[in-house]
Amino acid sequence: MTTPDEKPNMIEFRDVQKYYGDYHALRGINATIRAGEFFSLLGPSGCGKTTLLRTIAGFEDISSGAVLIDGKDMARVPANARPTNMVFQSYAIFPHLSVEENVGFGLRRDPRPKDQRARAVAEALEMVGLQGYGKRAAHALSGGQRQRVALARALILKPKVLLLDEPLSALDKKMREQMQVELIRLQRQVGITFILVTHDQEEALVMSDRIAVMFEGQIAQLADPETLYRRPNSRKVADFIGTMNFLPAKVLSEGPTIEIEAEGLGRISLAPDQVMEATSGEGASIGFRPETLSILFDGQATSDREAMGTVAEVVYYGDMTYYDMKLDGASVPMRLSMRNVPGRPVLDLGARARIGWSPGAAVLFR
Amino acid sequence: MKSTSLKAYTIAYLIFLYAPIALLPLFAFNDSRVIAFPLSGFTTAWFGEMWADEQLFKALKNSLIIALCTAVLATTLGVFAARASTRYRFPGKAGILGLIMLPLVLPEMIVSMSILVILLAIGIPLSLFTIILGHVLLCTPFAVAILTSAFQSLDRSLEEAACDLGETPLSTFRLIILPLVMPGIISSLLISFTISIDEFIVAYFLGGNQTVLSVYIFGQFRFPTRVPAIMSLGTVLVGLSIVLLTIAEYFRRRGIARAGGKDTGGFL
Repeated sequence: MTTPDEKPNMIEFRDVQKYYGDYHALRGINATIRAGEFFSLLGPSGCGKTTLLRTIAGFEDISSGAVLIDGKDMARVPANARPTNMVFQSYAIFPHLSVEENVGFGLRRDPRPKDQRARAVAEALEMVGLQGYGKRAAHALSGGQRQRVALARALILKPKVLLLDEPLSALDKKMREQMQVELIRLQRQVGITFILVTHDQEEALVMSDRIAVMFEGQIAQLADPETLYRRPNSRKVADFIGTMNFLPAKVLSEGPTIEIEAEGLGRISLAPDQVMEATSGEGASIGFRPETLSILFDGQATSDREAMGTVAEVVYYGDMTYYDMKLDGASVPMRLSMRNVPGRPVLDLGARARIGWSPGAAVLFR
Repeated sequence: MKSTSLKAYTIAYLIFLYAPIALLPLFAFNDSRVIAFPLSGFTTAWFGEMWADEQLFKALKNSLIIALCTAVLATTLGVFAARASTRYRFPGKAGILGLIMLPLVLPEMIVSMSILVILLAIGIPLSLFTIILGHVLLCTPFAVAILTSAFQSLDRSLEEAACDLGETPLSTFRLIILPLVMPGIISSLLISFTISIDEFIVAYFLGGNQTVLSVYIFGQFRFPTRVPAIMSLGTVLVGLSIVLLTIAEYFRRRGIARAGGKDTGGFL
């Protein structure tokens, strides 16, 4: 990972608002993206993440506020003059041109002699692993190859920022995982700021230095993947990124530590950084990721804390088994995931078991 | 049982469609001024007579000028309308598009007479130009229909990609949009040209003393002795149509293949 704190700002959003008629698509975006960062805009469809990306590219005018690239206000700069290039969701490969004509398209206004431009195209193709494909017709390529052409075409202009609009969503799972790794490698190699739009939380976690989670035209949380996963700042973010179990809780006292009483778990004391403000209208609740809970089999050392529960559901995944455990005294079941190791039985429905957990893994939303 | 009756129906239908056209070359080469069976012998004299007819060539020249101008004008207007209807939203769009397509169903007779009245009222003399005006009116809806489907199949992000890579809207149109809608443009030119060249009513009303091919052929039928020469002219026209259509289809298929699209049926 880079050390982004020392890097200068590449993109700055200042209270960006966007209306489509009456529809308020972007509701006051304030954020900075640092130079050389792999940044993701993550959210469900319709949350405004693609609109925000397009305001950087210049395809979308903003209603008010400002978008700055490398310190310059982009209000009067048209898309074709911005130091950004984009990889489109559909890849937008020009179907009537060959692979090398596609990749070299942006060099049409390049003053360099022809042979140097041809070399640049060859280098770009090599960078994405498509050497020798230059003469092919663009429409004869597979999905993964089209994506590589789109990448080469965007990177050949050495933009300050590369914008990626759900570039992997059209690929199958294997191909997608392979391209994720390649994109990370490519980003480290060229050192360009990458901004990725995705609705796939796993993809965002795998690839990004930092992630902005967006809901309904606003950034709900902007943090690095680990913080986002371990310390989501709202139940909504926690729900969107992975799975989180919530148990109703009651705050007893606040001091240097926060004392609470949670259903089925009893009294817990939490550090201040484990406490998040809940959205109004929701009662206080405490959240655990499934892998922070475990079933303690006979003879296994006890964990920090223990509780008793009953198996309410078993889902077997091969390498993992997911259990829904109803803790004694709790109103809702907790999902927990156990790695399957040889010699360890898969519990049956209705079986009683000890659950090990640690207060340090919990997040309180109040 | 079912398939044999369907086969018979298909054959009967094709005979109904093409037998009259098949008769054209038959009588064009027949050694008699009377159009009747039995055929009396082989001659190419009618083609010679046709070739020597100066009036015919003048009418043909007029028709070609009109058809070419009409095709280019209607297609140009069609490109504008198709682009506007597929890319932009503006107030009254549906109504405006409806009005553009309306001449498709208006009786040509009424349209011609209305134009004639207006032209006479404002004192514009009838000429090839007035025929072209009328034909553009008739052909534009066809051009719009063909070109709208061509523009619709164009992925918008292609334009954005070109713009993103540094091209201006104008150069994007030239480098990306135009080549990709070219099959549609060729279709539109061809359809407009074909409609214009055999159009009769508008040409008859708005032509003044300028004769075009369709009006000339109609006039010649008053003289029974001229009919065999008209038959040979018809034969030549059918032959040229087939050649033209084949060329157009060749370009259309090549365009689709180059763009990697799927062939969804054309003229042939």
